[in-house]
Amino acid sequence: MADRASRPSASPLAPGGPTLDQIDPSGAMSEAVDRIGRTTRVGLLKRAGAGATVLLGAWRTPAAAAATTQNQDRAILNYALLLEYLQASFYTEAERMRALKGALARQAHVVGAHERAHVRSLRAVLGRAAIARPRFDYRGVTEDPSAFRDTAVAFEDLAVAAYKAQAPRVQSKSLLAALLAIHSVEARHAAWIRYLAGRLPAPDAFDDPMPRRRVEAIVDDTRFIVAPASTSGKQSPRFTG
Amino acid sequence: MTIAVPEHHGLRRAALTATALVAGAGVCVTVVSVLPSNRNHTSLPPPARSALAFAHPTPLGAGARTPAARWAPVRAGATARRAPHSGALPVARVDTRTPESTRNIVQVLGRARKRAGRLWVRVRLAILPNGATAWIPRRALGGYVFVHSRLVVDRRHLQAVLFHGRHVVFRARVGIGKPAWPTPSGVFYVRNRLTRYRSPAYGPIAFGTSARSTMLTDWPAGGYVGIHGTDHPELLPGRVSHGCIRMANRDILRLGRLMPVGTPLTVR
Repeated sequence: MADRASRPSASPLAPGGPTLDQIDPSGAMSEAVDRIGRTTRVGLLKRAGAGATVLLGAWRTPAAAAATTQNQDRAILNYALLLEYLQASFYTEAERMRALKGALARQAHVVGAHERAHVRSLRAVLGRAAIARPRFDYRGVTEDPSAFRDTAVAFEDLAVAAYKAQAPRVQSKSLLAALLAIHSVEARHAAWIRYLAGRLPAPDAFDDPMPRRRVEAIVDDTRFIVAPASTSGKQSPRFTG
Repeated sequence: MTIAVPEHHGLRRAALTATALVAGAGVCVTVVSVLPSNRNHTSLPPPARSALAFAHPTPLGAGARTPAARWAPVRAGATARRAPHSGALPVARVDTRTPESTRNIVQVLGRARKRAGRLWVRVRLAILPNGATAWIPRRALGGYVFVHSRLVVDRRHLQAVLFHGRHVVFRARVGIGKPAWPTPSGVFYVRNRLTRYRSPAYGPIAFGTSARSTMLTDWPAGGYVGIHGTDHPELLPGRVSHGCIRMANRDILRLGRLMPVGTPLTVR
């Protein structure tokens, strides 16, 4: 197994990992001609963390403080849910495309089932406060094994770093236990796909967390989150009748 | 055979047992008296219970429904070609908009192919001859959408049936094209959904399809076949239209709730 992890890299994800600009050798992502406004993606990401901003000034009374805590935890859970949506849809689409073979196909099969379970669990605990699943456009990376593999490495490293940053901010111990249960599984996923990509599964003794703003910027740069296509209209039909 | 046990053996056993019990109790008391002083240093609190009820991972194919079809919006106008490379013969130009100004979509068939570093996908086109397929660059399309429904129109029995997976979820009697303007047979897809227009002849909802009349090619906008309501329900079922599939307004309203855009349509 080649150790590409030791090479110098400007990766925002993990030492040796790719930047998201590098994860699409086919150029499908970088050649994005998507005309969907940034507001759609940024809006989704902001909504996922909206609860946190509501909290300012609501700390004076014990009841307000409790609400603040609850809102902050809910915002973190929705942020986690968005990352899980991104991953679950990615693996599901990759599996349906049937472009993967061998160990990579098995990884997508197993990890996809995990990510969908994460989505279901987070949605269940959030109830009506759960954000809706966005529409995704993976721009061909689910149809090309090498692009899939590199994107999966980036996604898993990103998820591990994102969970790590949020865990200390969770107020409820039971929610923290839940997020840690997901976090360690994401770390296993990262090690698995890094191994399949010929990279060191655990390149460092310590991992760095990644703040939400940086994660959001990276996800936004991928342009994987898009607005739904407008296939409904109000124009009078001109069908043959 | 019986073995006789002398009585003094029983007495000795009882005495030994009593001694062992007293010694055991003493050890227990000692341990208990020592434990509190050690508790602060060695014992750990129980782990926090998770707030999540962990869902069971479900692999695709294990209870998950297989989609009936996949479609994608046309993100950038492109030339559809006979083969997956830029030098292949052009088949048609694929625009980003339908004649009704909605986002154009194509049904995507099979796996993508990579040629010269570029992905190509085979798509079903909304052109004549009906059912035509061609290859277009993947980058011209947006994200894939999977649908689990399919609509079957039976021209002989004048009936439309919508399936979700294997289950029939909708059935209605329909009107189809007159013999001079027949509803074309074949495999198509639903392209768009129109509502709130001011054309009572089309009822409250009209679905556009990729099917085109082979007779009325000079019809405005190209003679696309629609699935819609009607202001003449008394004519249904029957061979009454210019090629469109008509149904009672209450039926098209119900279909509107059940059938997403992108649903494959089979007319037989």
